[in-house]
Amino acid sequence: MTHPATTPNRASSPGSRPSGASPVARLFLAGGLGLAIVLVAGVQLGAINLSWAQVWAGLTGDGSEHVQRVIFELRLPRTLTGVLIGIHFALSGWLLQLLSRNPLAEAGILGISAGASLVAVVAFIIGDWLVSSTNPYDNTSFALQYLPLFAMAGGLVTALAVYFLGMRHGHLSPVKMTLTGAVIAGMLHALTTGALAFWGHAHTELVAQWLAGSLYGAEWQHLHTLLPWTLIGLASIALLVRPLEVMQLDDEHVCTLGLGLNRWRAFALLIATLLAASAVGVVGPVGFIGLLIPHISRRLAGANLPVQLVLCVLLGAVLAVLADLLGRTMFSPYEVPVGVVSAVLGVPFFLYLLSRQP
Amino acid sequence: MLRTEHLSLAYGDKPVVDNVSLAIPEGGITCLLGPNGSGKSTLLKSFAGLLPPRSGQVFLDNRPVAQWDRRRLALRLAMLPQKPIVPVGIRVRDLIALGRFPHRKWWQRNLTTDDNVTIDAMAMTGVSDLAERPVEALSGGQQQRVWIAMALAQETDILLLDEPTTFLDWGYQLEVLELLSTLNRQHGLTVVMSLHDLNQAAQFADRVAVLADGQLDTIGSPAKVITESLVKRVFRVHTSITAGREGRPFCTGFAESAQSRPRQRPHCTTTY
Repeated sequence: MTHPATTPNRASSPGSRPSGASPVARLFLAGGLGLAIVLVAGVQLGAINLSWAQVWAGLTGDGSEHVQRVIFELRLPRTLTGVLIGIHFALSGWLLQLLSRNPLAEAGILGISAGASLVAVVAFIIGDWLVSSTNPYDNTSFALQYLPLFAMAGGLVTALAVYFLGMRHGHLSPVKMTLTGAVIAGMLHALTTGALAFWGHAHTELVAQWLAGSLYGAEWQHLHTLLPWTLIGLASIALLVRPLEVMQLDDEHVCTLGLGLNRWRAFALLIATLLAASAVGVVGPVGFIGLLIPHISRRLAGANLPVQLVLCVLLGAVLAVLADLLGRTMFSPYEVPVGVVSAVLGVPFFLYLLSRQP
Repeated sequence: MLRTEHLSLAYGDKPVVDNVSLAIPEGGITCLLGPNGSGKSTLLKSFAGLLPPRSGQVFLDNRPVAQWDRRRLALRLAMLPQKPIVPVGIRVRDLIALGRFPHRKWWQRNLTTDDNVTIDAMAMTGVSDLAERPVEALSGGQQQRVWIAMALAQETDILLLDEPTTFLDWGYQLEVLELLSTLNRQHGLTVVMSLHDLNQAAQFADRVAVLADGQLDTIGSPAKVITESLVKRVFRVHTSITAGREGRPFCTGFAESAQSRPRQRPHCTTTY
């Protein structure tokens, strides 16, 4: 599913670096272990804490009906959806940072999440109005499977706008792109709030919760909606790794190495947008995972992109599940949305990174 | 080989190169000279197919560069930009290995043969001992050798360099130029580069092309081209030119405003 972690020339270097491969293996092991721990904790902990015996019995199908329901209808789908959105936001941020050569790029900062949110909210309001005006009794969760599509459309339009407005003399200017994205994000946020204030009375609470980025009420349906996009994203990125390595160089340098820069950059932008916007469509805009995880992965993996990629997948999943777990257990029975927790965890780290920018 | 015919180039509406026709000799070192803004870098970019001509053509093997497939072109012609970007944290050997990109399909990783070419390129440029070091940690001169190694790993017969000595101190400048000279003599690499130092151009080039205001002023061997009248005309500098090593010209210059300065100053002549 993911790209092989080591490359021939890296694998063949242990002669010069005795412990060449093992730090990578150790990183993957630690990441995998972390993921396993938060997965188990995600199933075990909650409004009622289950015992190990109950979890085991539940997972193997021997538990009481109540335990079965808690595990299979509430916690497992929620935790697994958390895994997917963590992967989506982390990989999206990783791609955006690579393709714009800008360590601060991320779907939230570039306005992609905001564009996705706006279109999803408007689609939700209109859809809800259409449904309830035809059949007032059937307005339950307006077509969940369509929301990601609307979100992706919104995300794509925003991404294209930011990309083209971020060009200078036919080349992408990272600074201009980031500034444009921040401004557009601000405008779209305002429009979303406005749309909500005007037409969203009936559902302000629901939409506000969604806008904060929440896994509350995540069901298998959410997982099924996301999974195809996860797989498409992972497969495309595995193919993109080599061009991405080259794309870290100067634009002109990239072209003289035989890479059609605009085409590949557009493709990477498309994948990054689909990943972020589909996740936004399901759980709302969750910030900072896309900023934080790629940074941590780079710190740990160095310049080795395949290793960075695997770490993004593992750590993105860990952070999302962990943030959700903290959000729903810390102030139980009240819930803090995953977007809020990840931001609270992320902001201090972000400020620390900014203070270290040269 | 590489040549231009009535080539004009522009950035947007701003014309930069005007009606330049010249031929780059195969297996030689050609230096582009000229004041700032005379169009040296722009001309180099057009050689690499990075800038579509406004009119006229750049030909490689009698075929317009614009019609070349980018990857095929990358197998014939490597270019080192003036300020290349170092990917964060990348090791020397991994950076040089990126030069192998055009030799593989875009989804393929490097093969053993690619690793061998990378190792050879490091040996030729004397950076083998730095293979595992992060590129950012190297000195300017070492970095420039690493970039040249990456271009060599590309295994092209033409190497374009945009002011390869600009950010280096004098010692590193000569080191880089000597490396290019060696690669040219031993491997028949065709080198085209823009330089600012007339004496370095005179010392290392087989052929110099002087640009002024986007037009080709003069082209030929250093001894014929670098004359007091040309330097006065193109660079607005008074010079006294003497014969240096191998009969190559050597200029000592005085900017017009500084003519009256005393001439008793220490004088270095480079040897290599």
